[in-house]
Parts: sequence; C-alpha cells; structure tokens
Amino acid sequence: MNNKINKPSSSNPFDIFIVGARKGFYIAANHLIPNILMAYVIAQILNLLGIIHFLEQLFSPLMSLFGLPDVASTVLLTAWFSASASVGLILSLIAQEQLTSLDTTILLPAIFLMGSQLQYIGRLLRIANVPRRYWPILMITSILNAFISMSIMKIII
Amino acid sequence: MSTKNKNDQNVPITIGFKAYIALITSILIFSGLFFNVEGMEWLGAFDFTTLCGSFGKMLNPEQNTFIGENGISAKAGFLFSLTLVPTVMLATGLLEVFTYYGAIRAAHHLFTPLLRPLLGLPGLSGLALITNLQSTDVGTKLTKELYESKLITKKNLIIMGAWQYSGAGLINNYFAVGSVVFSALSVPIITPLIIMFCLKFVGATFVRIMLSTWYKKDFIDE
Repeated sequence: MNNKINKPSSSNPFDIFIVGARKGFYIAANHLIPNILMAYVIAQILNLLGIIHFLEQLFSPLMSLFGLPDVASTVLLTAWFSASASVGLILSLIAQEQLTSLDTTILLPAIFLMGSQLQYIGRLLRIANVPRRYWPILMITSILNAFISMSIMKIII
Repeated sequence: MSTKNKNDQNVPITIGFKAYIALITSILIFSGLFFNVEGMEWLGAFDFTTLCGSFGKMLNPEQNTFIGENGISAKAGFLFSLTLVPTVMLATGLLEVFTYYGAIRAAHHLFTPLLRPLLGLPGLSGLALITNLQSTDVGTKLTKELYESKLITKKNLIIMGAWQYSGAGLINNYFAVGSVVFSALSVPIITPLIIMFCLKFVGATFVRIMLSTWYKKDFIDE
C-alpha cells in the first residue's frame, strides 16, 4: 500500500475524510483491482492445469489440524504473494460456500501476518538495509506468527 | 519520428533467445488454437479467450449483487474487485480523520515505554514502529534513517525489521483490505487486530532470542 502521510490542508473533518477516501480510491484502483484480477486469472490457470488440486492434497493434513478445508491452503499460499488477492479469494470462496465464516475468522489474522512477504522484501527489508543474511529468519518468523494466530483463533472462536 | 530513427540506427538491437520464446508464446496465447480443445481442456490455461473468463449471471436476481453467479477468471475478478472500492474508501476516509485528531501520536505515547523491556529497543525506535502500523513505506524510511544516523545498532535494526515485516502496515491493511470480509467474521472486528498486534511482539522476541543464541557470533562487537 502506498499510504503517504500527507497532512490534509483543511481542518474540517469532512474535508479530511475526503482526503482519506481519495487515498482509498487510489489504493483500490492501483493495487486492489489489478491484484485481484491477476489473482483470479492465476487461480483459473492453476485450476485448469490441476495444480490447485495437487497443492490442496499436499497441505490437506496441515489444514485439517486447524479444522480448515483443503482450499484454505490456497488462500494462505496466495496470501504470501499478495494479502489483498488472498482476501479476494476468501470472498469468492465464501460465495461458493467452500469456506464458512468460522474458517474465515481463523484465516484472517494469518493472512496479514504472513501476507505480501515477497513484496515487502523489496519495500521493507531491502530499503531499511536489513542484512540479507537475516531475511530467511524473518520470513520463517512471519509464517510462524501466522500459524500461532490460527491456533489462537481456533481456540477462541 | 526522426529521433526514433536515429536511435534505431545507433543502438544495435540484440534479439535473444528469450525474445523469440516471448513472441511464440504470445502468438500461441492470442491465436485461439488452444480454445476449447476437446479432451484437453487444460490447454485453455494458455488461451487468451479462456483466461478472459466470463461475468457472473443473474441466476437469482433477488439475492445476487451485480457480480452475479458463477463468473470466472479476469472478468469475474474485475467485477468482484469493484465491490471492494466503497468499503476501502470508507475505511481509509475514517482512518484519515482519526489520524488527523492524533490517534497515532497517542498510540506512540502509550507504546514507547514498552519497547525496552519487551524488545530491548531504545525508546526512539517507537515512532518508526508505530508508523509501520499505519504505513509500511514511511515506517521503513524512519527505520533506515535511525540506522544510518547510528542511533540504533544492527541488532536493533533486525529486531525492528522483524517487528515490522510480519503484518506490515497492519492497521491500514486490516481496515482497508480486510474490511471486505468483516461481515463474515464470527468474533468482534478488534479481536484479530489485537492478536496480530501481540504476535508482532512474539515474532520480534523470537528473532531477538535467535540473534543472541544462533547468530551470537555476528554481534560480538555490539
């Protein structure tokens, strides 16, 4: 997300809201829409080639630990590339009745904790000069965080 | 036009192997040869028309929204993404107002005393971390400046990196992107947010422990 902290020029809360809403439109037009369109096309390619089915079989035992359906592994894999695409995928899976509201509740924090990691290597780790040697441990930590969050959500729902 | 010709003459254009592969692939994808090949539907994965997909249909007009039902691929993805725009605009608009009235400054004030005991970080790193909750890019910039002005050590930098990397831009991403599934949540909206916030500390603490054990040798000087 490209959220520059610009100070709104007016102190009228309605004007400030408009500044924020405009940023939201920018995020939607430049990030969400292209990302989701791409995610839908990639999902369709993987589907036609039978890869989704293969991956779901592979991660099925891991997902069942959290009481999640096989399709949840696709949601998490997508999240690693793009959190927004993954949220889009969840919505379409809810519409197709492949994910329930409980599944969504378990998955949501995990999506953001391990979300868009590939993108953030460039935007965060590289720019902040975190030495390359420690990138793998930071990545593993994020995935670990995601799985801890799924365990916690499983308990509290 | 003349500049272009001049450039064409001066810069030798090398056409590599990759370029021919790209050309052949593009011809195949746009040719329609792989469209609906009987018995080999998987070839559709390389066909433009198949990948364009279809819009959903109004099978149950009383229940369907404008995206309809059973849409697939690019067309379905596009219509679907339009449904997210109002939610995102409302969320970012509200966040802007709360930020303007100092929500972030207040959070920074409450947050700073926790840094030393929890993560071993100096208090001045608080602003970069709290900013990361709102914007990944601005948080990154502040972190970079702290390290370049030698106000934090390499070890601090890595711990701060760990804290920021998992769940980067948390509040903005959660409300801007996550808000579209809020109606499907079976817990209050704030619960996942609190869990994610706490886990940022868990992850950073894990990295801190790893740095003082597994990677101990790297930080002998510090």
